[in-house]
Amino acid sequence: MIAQQIINAVSLGGVYALLALGLAIVFSIVGLINFAHGELMTLSGYALLAALVFGLPFPVAVLVAVSCGALAAVAMERVAFRPMRGASVTSLLLTSFAVSSLLKVVFQNGISARPQAVAMPGWMTGAFSFGDFTIGVGPSISIVVSALALIALEVFLRRSVTGTAMRAAAEDFNVVRLMGIPASRIIATAFLLSGLLAGLAAMLWVAQRASVDPLMGFTPVLKAFIAAVVGGLGSLPGAVAGGFLLGIIEVLLQATLPAAIAPYRDAIVLSGVIAVLLLRPQGLIPAVRVQRS
Amino acid sequence: MLSVEALKIRYGEVEAVRRVDLTVDSGEIIALVGANGAGKSSTLGAIAGLVPAASGKVVFDGVAITGLAPEAIARKGVALVPEGRRIFASLTVADNLRLGGAVHQPAAEAKLREEEMLELFPILRRYHRVKGGNLSGGEQQMLAIARALMSKPRMILLDEPSLGLAPQLIDTVFDLIAELRRKGLTILLVEQNVALALEIADRAVVLANGEVVLSGTAKELASSDLVRQAYLGA
Repeated sequence: MIAQQIINAVSLGGVYALLALGLAIVFSIVGLINFAHGELMTLSGYALLAALVFGLPFPVAVLVAVSCGALAAVAMERVAFRPMRGASVTSLLLTSFAVSSLLKVVFQNGISARPQAVAMPGWMTGAFSFGDFTIGVGPSISIVVSALALIALEVFLRRSVTGTAMRAAAEDFNVVRLMGIPASRIIATAFLLSGLLAGLAAMLWVAQRASVDPLMGFTPVLKAFIAAVVGGLGSLPGAVAGGFLLGIIEVLLQATLPAAIAPYRDAIVLSGVIAVLLLRPQGLIPAVRVQRS
Repeated sequence: MLSVEALKIRYGEVEAVRRVDLTVDSGEIIALVGANGAGKSSTLGAIAGLVPAASGKVVFDGVAITGLAPEAIARKGVALVPEGRRIFASLTVADNLRLGGAVHQPAAEAKLREEEMLELFPILRRYHRVKGGNLSGGEQQMLAIARALMSKPRMILLDEPSLGLAPQLIDTVFDLIAELRRKGLTILLVEQNVALALEIADRAVVLANGEVVLSGTAKELASSDLVRQAYLGA
């Protein structure tokens, strides 16, 4: 039972971490909190549904769905955010709200306001046991996928020139441009990565629920936003730490709170967030940013 | 090689640069001197594409570069070493150098260039795996110059390289600047330390309140009454 709860906690934390990381990557470079991040997740969910309805094999459908999330993120930057480049933080924020609302309405009117069932393969809902422990296949896959995604991202950011340039751009974007590295390439890559991560998170989210609806992305991305803030907005290690922390606390409270207090779970979690921010206003692992004159 | 014609720069209502004209010939060191707020850094920023020009023209190698993005200007062979060094503090010395040369040459060539830089700045070889933020001010200045040189620029814009450095280090940095010129690099140097700047430069341009008030050879300026009274404390 405890092992199962720990697996669930880490698995949920992994999804939050992927989403928070996507928010943090874009924020660290463009200074934008992309509230349409949730819609990227929803879009990937619908893409999975469509791919399966068209009869694509499950792994191919997942690939298509994740790619859709990534491409949609790049398109979003191109259409909505690039024309706003250099605008104030408020304008960027409002733009992202507009994109988010627009996509929600498109999903509601174009597809359906009601949840659509996604036919996940049967083995996803299975479980395997080690002696006394029974562990769900879904959460285990979720943990493995999150871990691989985090490692792949780390390798990309450390080893590749574009990844290194992104880390540098998070510190001082203008100086990266002085090195001759095009701003557009860095920004497009940031969105591509955030879309990829949102797509992956969507797969893990849908795998646990076997349905998608127009508001699917809202709650997890709200949580991811909280995770990113707790971790230190714009800090990538912070986003991962915040994501896991939030996921683990949520599941553990869910499992241990007496029934009478259970409805207050979110209130307790958010009080914890306030406490963290009072003690460490820059978050758990603050982002590096150079003071400019 | 570079000419700035009737450059004007505005930050909102404030006119930071009213009119700057200057030319830099190939292989020269030109010093741009003046008090704080005279418009020196803004002028460099406009040449490098970081600061938009309200009017006027910047021509590099016969091509107008006014209004181009900083990355496009960098690719034409103009490298700016910004004021305050602005090295990437969370990146290692190696990564700082790697970014400097990344888009200008194939990887193998960049590796050779990095080796040249480590020859020129032995201190950077010692701290190759150290994060830029952990270097001292002087070491950071070396790194900032080496990072700019990684792109094999034809012209380098140096913004206040002596700022915040101990006197001994200032000498090291200026010896290095002289050495770079001997190697054929064209240099536009912004410097508050006028005596030092005039010592090393071929020609100099004096800015005050966003305008050129005096220009000539470094020798002429060093003996001019205006410069001696206003900047050399004589």
